[in-house]
Order: sequence, then structure tokens, then C-alpha cells
Amino acid sequence: MKILPTLEGGLRIDTEDDGDWKLLQTITHDAVSCDEHLALRLGNLITDEQVAADWREYIIPDLEEAFHADLAHVASSIAAARVECGGGPGPLWITREDAFHWYGSLNQARLALEEIHQFGPSEDLSPMGIPPQSRNAFLRSQFYCAIQSLLLEHVMR
Amino acid sequence: MADSDTATLTRTDTSLDVPWSVLVFDDPVNLMGYVTYVLMKIFGYDEKKAAILMLQVHKQGRSIVWTGQREKAEFYVQQLQSHQLKSSLEKAE
Repeated sequence: MKILPTLEGGLRIDTEDDGDWKLLQTITHDAVSCDEHLALRLGNLITDEQVAADWREYIIPDLEEAFHADLAHVASSIAAARVECGGGPGPLWITREDAFHWYGSLNQARLALEEIHQFGPSEDLSPMGIPPQSRNAFLRSQFYCAIQSLLLEHVMR
Repeated sequence: MADSDTATLTRTDTSLDVPWSVLVFDDPVNLMGYVTYVLMKIFGYDEKKAAILMLQVHKQGRSIVWTGQREKAEFYVQQLQSHQLKSSLEKAE
């Protein structure tokens, strides 16, 4: 798989085989892999009882809906591009308009993996230092992080 | 039944509006560049101020990024959480 910035200010992901498409599809699977959804985990940070009650009633459902919308957008983009090239080599385009959906979905996936596996700061971590059962998840998280960095550097700013 | 006068008692209760602080917490996932970007976008801070606050979050584990009225603080925390930053609000000390 190759990922390159485009002249139009987006990103182009060139897949090489069906394995690459499957890897891209794990983004949305990983994002919902945590037992407690992200909106609820963020809501748990509100400690004032009165504010927390409002949060549960109004904010958490809205956030949950917005996070799901990001994932649905990314899942349908991947599915459409995969169909377009018959599951083989082919491009997937991320335009400027898509960037926030993609960044948000990748972030949801990384936050969920972190919640489950508790990797901690990744700067000093090597895959060999990760328990075998979590190593694949760590590598996926690093892959998602690389796409996020490209989005941040070339598309969102 | 005799007519009765209705007395209206008006009680005025005045209290000072307590300021609230908006907090952002460190986490190992959100990229430093993204945190800076979100602080610029939500609060309108320039890049230098946003970067200073981001570094406070990174080094001290949390930072107070804004203080003011409760309603506005709630709005800002909602915005921060919609960008997936770990954030909360509390009464300012």
C-alpha cells in the first residue's frame, strides 16, 4: 500500500491486493471494539454531578451519533472504492472534505485500541516489547497514526 | 367568605457567578499537532498560545485552557470532546 498527497490537497491510498482492503476495513471494526463507546468514556470525565446529568441526557447521545456518522462515511468510502477496483489494486481518494471523517475514525480506532491494550506513549515502544496477543493491534495503531500524520500535515492545515 | 388581600413577597437572592475552568487531559493517542490545531480552531488562539497549552497538557498531564461562564465552558468541552480530546470542566478555584 502506498499513501501520497494529491495536487488537490487530499490523499490517495493505492492498495495492492485484497489484504490492503481488509486492513483498511479494520479501521471501523477497531473503532467499535471497546465495550464502552467513546462518547461514554469521554462523558465519564465530567465529575460535577449536575453537569454530568446534563451530559448523559443531551451531549453523550449527540457525540455518539456524530462518531457513528464518521465511521459510516469511512466504511462506505472504502466499500465503494473496493467494489470499483474489484477488490484488487486500486486507488482510494481522501478529499479535503473527507479529511475530518477519516481523521476522526482513525482516532476512534486508536483510542479504542489504547483503551483495550494500554500501550501508553508509543515513542519508546517497539513491537517486540509488546505482548504477542497485542502486537498486531499495536502495529495497526501505528499504521492508523501514520495516515493521521499525513492528513494533519497535508490535508487539514 | 371574606375577601382577602394577597400579599406578594418578593425575595431577591443574588450570588456571584462562579467561573468555570475548561480542562484538557493528556492521553497517549492524540497527536501534539492535532491538539494544537483543535485549540486554535475552537478557542481562536494563535499557534504560539495553542502550542504552549498543548505542551502543558503533554508535560503536566492537564491544562486549564479557558475560564469563564459555565454555559460557555460546557459548550467548549462539548466541542473538545467532539474532536475526541479528553476534557472536562470544573469550578475555578
